[in-house]
Amino acid sequence: MKNQILQVLLLWLVATTAFAQTVTIKGRVTDKVTKAPVFGASVALKSDLSKATITNDTGEFTLTVSGPDAKVIIHSFGYQDVEVQVGNQTFLEVMLDEEAKGLDEIVVVGAVVRRESLTGSVATINAAKISQTPTNNINQALQGKVAGAYVVSNSQPGSDASIKIRGNNSIQFGTNPIFVVDGVIIDGGFNTLNPDDIASIDVLKDAASTAIYGSRGANGVVVVTTKKGRNGAGKVSYNAWFGVQSFSKKVDLMKGKDLFDLRVDAYANAFIEKNPQGNRQQYITDSLMGPNSLAFAQYELDAYRQGKSYDWLDAVTRKGFQQNHTMNFSGGTEKGSYFLSFNYTDQKGIVQSSGYKRLGGRVNLEQAIKPWLKVGTNTSFTNSKDDYVDGSVFSVAAVANPLLPVDTASYYLKYGDIENQDAYNPLRSLSITGDNISNRLLSANYINISPIKDLNIRSTVSFDMTNQQTFWYTPMTTGQDRRNSNHGKASQRKDVYNNLQWDNTISYNKSFGPHYLSILAGTSMQKNKYNYNQVDAFGFPNDDFGYKFLGGAYSKDKTSLSSDFITTTLLSFLGRADYSYNDKYFVTATLRYDGSSRFGANNKWGAFPSLALAYDMSKESFMSNLHPISRLKWRVGYGIAGNQNIPNYAFASLYRPNYTNNSVTYVSDGRLGNPNLHWERQKQLNLGVDLGLFDSRLTITADYFNINNDDLLMVKTLSTTTGFTNTVSNVGALNNKGIEFAINGALIRKQDFQWNVNLTISHDQNKVTALYGDTKAIYNKGGYTGVEIQRTGNLFLGESLNSVYSYKFDKIAQQSDMDRIKDMDFAGRTVHPGDIMPVDKDGNGVINDDDRYVVGKLNPKFYGGFGTDVTYKGFGLNMFFNYSYGLKRLSGLYEGLMSSSGVSAAHEDLKDRWTPEHTNTNVPRALYGIPRYSYGDTDLGLQNASFLRLSTLTISYTLPRKVASMLRLENTRFYVTGANMLRFTKDRGYDPETGDGYPNSKMLTAGLNLTF
Amino acid sequence: MKRRAALGILPVMILVSTVSCTDFLDQQPQTALTQEQVFAKLENIDPLITGLYTNWRNARKDRGGFMFQLGGDESQQGAFQVRSEADQAGLDRYDGFLAPRNNALTQQWDLRWPIVSAAAKAILALQTNTEDEAKRNVLLGEASFIWSAVTFELTQYWGEIPIIDAGKLNEFGTSRKPLPQVYEYLIKNLQFAVDHLPETQTDKRRVTKYAAMALLGKVYLYAPQESNARDYQKAADMFDGVIKSGKYSLLPKFGDLFDPSKPNSTESLYEFQFTNTYPDNNQTQWQMGSRALASIDGNCAFGGYDLMVPTAYAYKDATNGGVWEAGDVRKTASIRYDFIYNGQPPKLLSGFGGDELDPHVKKFEDPRTQGTMSFWYSGKNIIYMRYADVLLCYAECLNELKRTPEAVGIVNNQVRTRAFGGTLPVTMKWNEGLSQDEFRTKMLDERMRELCFEGWRRMDLIRSGKFVSLIKARNRWAAESNTIQEFHKKYPIPLTEVLQNEDISDADQNQGYLP
Repeated sequence: MKNQILQVLLLWLVATTAFAQTVTIKGRVTDKVTKAPVFGASVALKSDLSKATITNDTGEFTLTVSGPDAKVIIHSFGYQDVEVQVGNQTFLEVMLDEEAKGLDEIVVVGAVVRRESLTGSVATINAAKISQTPTNNINQALQGKVAGAYVVSNSQPGSDASIKIRGNNSIQFGTNPIFVVDGVIIDGGFNTLNPDDIASIDVLKDAASTAIYGSRGANGVVVVTTKKGRNGAGKVSYNAWFGVQSFSKKVDLMKGKDLFDLRVDAYANAFIEKNPQGNRQQYITDSLMGPNSLAFAQYELDAYRQGKSYDWLDAVTRKGFQQNHTMNFSGGTEKGSYFLSFNYTDQKGIVQSSGYKRLGGRVNLEQAIKPWLKVGTNTSFTNSKDDYVDGSVFSVAAVANPLLPVDTASYYLKYGDIENQDAYNPLRSLSITGDNISNRLLSANYINISPIKDLNIRSTVSFDMTNQQTFWYTPMTTGQDRRNSNHGKASQRKDVYNNLQWDNTISYNKSFGPHYLSILAGTSMQKNKYNYNQVDAFGFPNDDFGYKFLGGAYSKDKTSLSSDFITTTLLSFLGRADYSYNDKYFVTATLRYDGSSRFGANNKWGAFPSLALAYDMSKESFMSNLHPISRLKWRVGYGIAGNQNIPNYAFASLYRPNYTNNSVTYVSDGRLGNPNLHWERQKQLNLGVDLGLFDSRLTITADYFNINNDDLLMVKTLSTTTGFTNTVSNVGALNNKGIEFAINGALIRKQDFQWNVNLTISHDQNKVTALYGDTKAIYNKGGYTGVEIQRTGNLFLGESLNSVYSYKFDKIAQQSDMDRIKDMDFAGRTVHPGDIMPVDKDGNGVINDDDRYVVGKLNPKFYGGFGTDVTYKGFGLNMFFNYSYGLKRLSGLYEGLMSSSGVSAAHEDLKDRWTPEHTNTNVPRALYGIPRYSYGDTDLGLQNASFLRLSTLTISYTLPRKVASMLRLENTRFYVTGANMLRFTKDRGYDPETGDGYPNSKMLTAGLNLTF
Repeated sequence: MKRRAALGILPVMILVSTVSCTDFLDQQPQTALTQEQVFAKLENIDPLITGLYTNWRNARKDRGGFMFQLGGDESQQGAFQVRSEADQAGLDRYDGFLAPRNNALTQQWDLRWPIVSAAAKAILALQTNTEDEAKRNVLLGEASFIWSAVTFELTQYWGEIPIIDAGKLNEFGTSRKPLPQVYEYLIKNLQFAVDHLPETQTDKRRVTKYAAMALLGKVYLYAPQESNARDYQKAADMFDGVIKSGKYSLLPKFGDLFDPSKPNSTESLYEFQFTNTYPDNNQTQWQMGSRALASIDGNCAFGGYDLMVPTAYAYKDATNGGVWEAGDVRKTASIRYDFIYNGQPPKLLSGFGGDELDPHVKKFEDPRTQGTMSFWYSGKNIIYMRYADVLLCYAECLNELKRTPEAVGIVNNQVRTRAFGGTLPVTMKWNEGLSQDEFRTKMLDERMRELCFEGWRRMDLIRSGKFVSLIKARNRWAAESNTIQEFHKKYPIPLTEVLQNEDISDADQNQGYLP
């Protein structure tokens, strides 16, 4: 298999010499799995590739060949090449395997290994699947398609989506898997990868498959393989799409009148609270609605009386627009191949003046210099430019006062007369310029020496260099400038990432009889360097030069300089042995020994072994009678993976020089160094089965995993009597287990009509099984003062990592409760009819910290995606849904909006608030300025974030063969895609997945693929 | 042949990649020193000590710098603040929010311990250092002073506290220690500072011998009875030493004390050094000023956000039930009554507390910011200890030592004479025949008039025994809530401390805060 290309070349040489009579043969080319006809496949005579034809719409072809000895090669984009000897056949039935499955080799840690010998739990996505989602982001393309991978897209332009494999295995560090692009391990910046360049993505989920990445494999590994040119005629392909983007959902905010009424209610209730015998109506008429209103400013009364409501968010947003173009050139000879690609993408963000542009190119070359010497490179260059908008533009506009006319007059927005100096007028903030220019060179270069047959020595030198410049200018006309008395602020920042990786391997692969043996040994060195510098200059005579003329800054004493240099290194020794017998029994053993600079002198090294076994039962003769079963492969793997993703230099207590008060001082950064820090070690067990039924029309992959992490790394807050505020330490143990299913079905396999469905279901649950010493809980402090115990992020023995710790919401107090609770101690809070009442857990009549407990967890019960793909003749309809069931979420946004007393933005749900006439509700009454339990104190605001989302809907049309070939095109496809067009959820925030920072977006895209 | 040559590359490659792997993996921080490096030599300990000064100073700036002054009889929160932040309001209301979970207090607690701990480590490192002995002793004196100043504050407000002695970490742990032991340490460390600090420092960030003497005097005077450390004679000796040094005198004009163009005057024993440039500004005016002015002009030097305002008692005249006597120049130098700005009277804004145009604290106003920058940049030095305080404390000691006439003399001839513009009217003179107890009562008011908002009031109230009665009578919010009790003299140990400090359990909580 793996030497196929060589064999082809060899046979070709032999075949050219044999010539006899000519025969005309016919045939049909179909997809092996779907049985769909493959049109546009080239069928060429092996002896003379110029004698070729192309299959028609039904996949059929006619070709004149030299005779029974002739061989034909069938090649089609996205499929593995097939070679057939004509023999005595007059009609050739040819079935093609999809390319990704057929790509039988994969590069790991600088060595080529057989994909088949990845015995562990691996999910593969090929180019065809990736292209289903028009996106610039490869993570987004994975969403819902890999069982056990939880992808959360980020709705801000140009930003990464995050991906989590198999739930939480670590507490704080590195929940993201590592990405390995053509052998280069990259950290972040995945959005610089062009999805159109990618041939396949393999998601390695269990220790048996990730162990080769040792210390970095604990959170899974995503192996990205880019496209290569292939032997044969050169090819050009062009892909383009255009999209229009808008917010998929905003929150339902109260408009002017409702907000006005809410404030009246809140003030009047507070008045009655303080003056139980007072005249409510008179207070409203005289003190609230009258000329010298206690609650309203004149402009608010005016807006209310004129029935006006203003939408500030509308004023700073627009329709987003995106376009993306990629052009590829590829081809090859028997000695080498080339793949060149150019990409341009341009996004205009939904928030005004936000945008992202990217220009990228790629060169993948491979060339045999000598029969025993091969060199190659996979190199890409990306230049991107982000137009940043000050974050406050959106965040302020989203919660602006609907009674406040939209204009640029004021520096700050306000409710009543309260000018909020944090609420910079977003129309003014739009004039802040923020530009980021980033250049990235990602290059893997190898030399492969094969001194004797089956032995390969390979050395790979890789670079991942990013140079980034960020510029900001905040003009004098903004609230930010006024508040800080800056008279113009210019910032320039340079970030340089310089990552080097050098991998050396020696491998020996040999088949003898039914035995196959592969042995690999190697070393890997990585050095990651980072540095930055930043200048902030203040005080400019005018705004004309923006950030470009730092020399013009006159407030020299305010000038701020900063810089840092950080280097981390990793050194590894690795070994791996694969053995298989008859492609029926498989054994893989891996050992990696890693040293990391992130740990103290005594704990730098860790060993990460794994062992995996597989048994393909369908190869047994007794199985051949069981017709429905076409594949039945059992897998079991056990291994240890590590995690070193901790803050830099956490082994030492650091004192940073700090310039203040005319001299340099040394000040501790608050972290207690921990020289005993050591690797997080995850012991992972995986059991899996791959099942194919009914001629592979139904395939099921099921996996069970059980992961024990014994040395969890986390930042632990300390009692400050220690002199420090926190330390990084190995604090405890965590168990994480779950199951995953990936199911594919070909419901209809007709010539002109195919219908495929697929489904992934994943479930994982985690539990803290030990903490250090006798500790039962580790608290997460934060909030406004930095010392409040947070509702999430705490660790409790025996509970999930994703626990919610708060008071439990009992009910909204009613008049009938007053007698019962009149002696209760609510620690200074008011609990009168209409107010939130928490559960008195210990029943002692006092609500205090003892009544806070773990009230729930956020983990979904299960999640995944499902899709349907229908093709009828040239038409295609593809729908892909993703979902999560049982997901919970704390929405700070919603809780804030629901806690409004009309002097801040309020949610429409407050219309359902408690009043003496409307008591059957869980929304507390309006009340201004009297302390009571809020949404944030209890779990009342815990969102049921289960959702079902139509993440993509694509309708496509492929030009009929005849028309295409008239235009000299190989493949022409038009499509329209709607992304995130439908969503079903009870979540009240922006989006159950992307959270509350920024609304999610939807996009309608029209695109085109051309190949010739 | 070529193949063999190629094969020969292999060992070279392996060799190169494994050589000196320990060096390769040894990556030290490039822009920070490790603790070991810092404490290894005087050259590094010196900037560490200046870092401690900065941290100590920063504890006194911005919002946090006023937390201990809330809930007093001379100062309280503005009405809008009380309404918006329940935990902080608890500091004035003495209600259920003044509990272990109170975040405003936790923040103050958490801020101070790292300073104490770093000072303790510096002390230990200096004790074993063998470089330049003279310099070493000065640094040791400074570290001892900072350790003591912060520990003194913590024990005054929280009572029994851990003693951080870097040499005895294993022995002491981080459990609460009895007051006699805490004060024994305080006295020991301060005495060292007295013995080794220089009489003057050109670098005004650094403390002097006399600042140490004054603080040690205060420790003897303020020590609670249970500590067995209160000693009026020793306190008097310390204050007397400061007075006899002849290095300090009262400024003729009281108002000059708060004039930013006259910092570090002859009256100042120590003041926290600030400027108008971030991060060395102190934002105090942001907290002290009036929102009514802030809304007119963000660069008005007496604008701000009403965190803390004077109580009615602290701003009214004696004839109206307040503290001020006719003719006392300290009244208008300490408190702003006049809010006319650019000829216009400001108006109250809707939706706020309604007290935005009541008298405000004036001592932190920084006229240098007027018109050019936000009051957020206010950055006048903040006085820690000044000579008038030394004189008043000395007088108090004399009174306790039954030398009341002498004490009255000091108050009349120095502090009150200056307060009335250089000539003390006969009617304003205190009678030399005051009883000891009458003197104590009058002194509490005198200290308010002289030192209001300078940060000593809460301690004064605690030691006077009138903590509850005076606060309940004078603090608007405490009166309204009417829940203040004797146990409130000590703040609760923060919940996070109880949860995270293995040496402090629920049972160790200050009395009154346990359910």
